[in-house]
Amino acid sequence: MSSARKLLLLAAAIAVTAGLAACGNGGGGESDEGTISGKFELTEEAPAAYDGLEGDATLTRADGGTAVKIAVTGLEANTDYMSHLHVGGCQPPLVGGPHFRYDPEGSEEPPNEIHLMFKSNAEGDGEAEATSDREVPAGEAGSVVLHLASEMKMSAFVHEEGHEHPDKIACAELEGPQSETAKAAEEEAEADAEPEVAASAPTIVVRDGEPVGGIEKLEYGAGDQIEFAVESDVAEEIHVHGYDLMKDVPAGGTVAFSFPAEIEGIFEVEMEGQSLQIAELRVNP
Amino acid sequence: MSWLPLAHALSARQDLPVPAWLFAWGASIVLIVSFFALAAGWRRPRFEQARWRPLAAGLSRAAVSLPVQALCGLAGVFLLGVAVYAALRGTEAPDRNFALTFLFVTVWLGFPFFSAIFGDLFRPFNPWRAVGRATGAAFAAVAGQRPRHLAYPERLGRYPAAAGLVAFVWLEVVYGTSGGVAVGLDPQSAGIAALIYSGYTLAMMALFGVEKWCERGETFSVYFGMFSQLGFLAVRDGRLGVRRPLAAAGSWATVPGSLAVVVASISTTSFDGASEGAFKGGIEWVFDRFADVGFGLDTAARLSDTVFMALCLLGVAGVYLLGVRGMHTVHGAPAFAKLRDGFAHTLIPIALAYLVAHYFSLFVFQEQAQFTYLLSDPLGTGSTDLFGTAGSGIDFTVLSANAIWYVQVGALVAGHVLGLTLAHDRALSYWPDFRDATRSQYWMLAVMVAFTCFGLYLLSVSNA
Repeated sequence: MSSARKLLLLAAAIAVTAGLAACGNGGGGESDEGTISGKFELTEEAPAAYDGLEGDATLTRADGGTAVKIAVTGLEANTDYMSHLHVGGCQPPLVGGPHFRYDPEGSEEPPNEIHLMFKSNAEGDGEAEATSDREVPAGEAGSVVLHLASEMKMSAFVHEEGHEHPDKIACAELEGPQSETAKAAEEEAEADAEPEVAASAPTIVVRDGEPVGGIEKLEYGAGDQIEFAVESDVAEEIHVHGYDLMKDVPAGGTVAFSFPAEIEGIFEVEMEGQSLQIAELRVNP
Repeated sequence: MSWLPLAHALSARQDLPVPAWLFAWGASIVLIVSFFALAAGWRRPRFEQARWRPLAAGLSRAAVSLPVQALCGLAGVFLLGVAVYAALRGTEAPDRNFALTFLFVTVWLGFPFFSAIFGDLFRPFNPWRAVGRATGAAFAAVAGQRPRHLAYPERLGRYPAAAGLVAFVWLEVVYGTSGGVAVGLDPQSAGIAALIYSGYTLAMMALFGVEKWCERGETFSVYFGMFSQLGFLAVRDGRLGVRRPLAAAGSWATVPGSLAVVVASISTTSFDGASEGAFKGGIEWVFDRFADVGFGLDTAARLSDTVFMALCLLGVAGVYLLGVRGMHTVHGAPAFAKLRDGFAHTLIPIALAYLVAHYFSLFVFQEQAQFTYLLSDPLGTGSTDLFGTAGSGIDFTVLSANAIWYVQVGALVAGHVLGLTLAHDRALSYWPDFRDATRSQYWMLAVMVAFTCFGLYLLSVSNA
């Protein structure tokens, strides 16, 4: 296909999407050609030092590639920061959700993920750009989450149970025509996810690396929202087989799962590192 | 019970137990079909002759021509090589290593499923047969005479293959301690086992001759060959032809030890199905006794599993022999030994039904892995992406729980009907009087109902 025709098609597609988005778009960022953007908002656990933080993140898809840019002011001076492109929106507790990956089962490193690493200058300003030669699929770019690059400084953060990554400083939710449907779905999921931290959702407690009371049985009907939490005294990766969901739980922390019961059968929930089953998930038709 | 450390199993998904209402329906249909079969039985044997006839001359010869045989043999040797290499050099994670899915799912389940329809598919691809024949041909070319072999002791019959079958499943589900579903063996052990088996098989072929050993002692040839007796394609006199489905099974079981192969097949599948469900409590009780006596956890687990696998073998053989003893009491019955061997083939459809019922979903799901990421990244180390499918996953939504249940129960009922058909047919040729033949079949009917309902029961309590 000639590049002129490609452009024409792209323009047509954008015109249609923009038209649709205009009806339902209640604000948010720019709706340039293939560009989505958002402003950084502080997370709940961000230390007071960051109260003056401002900045924005922009994701541009062009010529089959993707470019992500961030520019932030109000950071600590001469400090290393890291940010990642995430799949989810900025709502707590799972600020950003998992990292975006082109291949969900592939590597955690670029080029399979999009990482932006930078050092702030003496005024506490910083900016970074990352490019990728593949296009991030529509609806999969949810937010850019900013945190410290150095593990040493994480201890400055409030450790609070129920938060997956206590080191997240700020999150910019990417909005634009492409993310409208994804955002709607996300909001729906988030609305559903509300009760997951409620006391009614089962919590699997792991003590000394073993599930208290044996393998927990979780039973749902197809189409239900599966909700449970894992509280662990050891740092582990929790793997829900079949659905292939993985989340890290820090030592002494809790991680919450909430997902629709789409696959019928009996599945293991496992602590990946020790290969130890902690729950049995049963989804009946 | 103590915590057994579980490594990754091949598949971390299990089928839901068949619900009570479907169990009831399945069992009712089995009983109704059985009584119908008794009432509407035909009076002259229909499956005693296979009625083989060749396909069109060009096709039937081309399909079994030397170049085709050489190509298939090479493919078999190549794939075995890939599997062993992946097992020894690839990842320790069973689900990411080509070897385990290839050996235990694609080959071990694929050949029975497809051979039962199409006839003996394994023979042309048998890597050991290919190596053996090539070696024999090379020997003949150099020495100017065909290699000489020992006479195979016919009393041994197919017992070596039956033993190999039990050993294979034992290795897969008892020795492999990773628990979980299906294959519990780690890739490294599987690779070493494959090498040992290859050495043993080639040695036996050198001793007794390639074809002889394939017919009698080579586990995979005999086991897959058993199911292929039901299929409609067969090679005879260097030509490919079609035959009446099921009919070839009748003459298969005349070799000693054939009964042992069928019994081993049914009982090992039963054990695998029951170990996570119906036998779970019992196995744990025995495990605790062994652990109390001072065995290590792994050893105690293997010992208790072995005990229950042996019980399955005895149980299945016992039920069948009880049926034979019953038939023997009917007026005009032939000798006990003749009855015992003469009805062994009627259990082949039951064995196939058990396989389908227990492994159908595993096969459908794991084959998605086989033909996507395991093919692109056989070692599972993320170092290759040969076909661009290394990033794919298994879509578990292709089969709903309901679909799996219907296939499971449907397979058992179909196996039951085919088993009854073969048994009725054989009885007609053994008893001079048709009424005596029918009367003798009350016994086989009881045997079949027992196996089918036991199969249904296993499905209904899996992982209770």
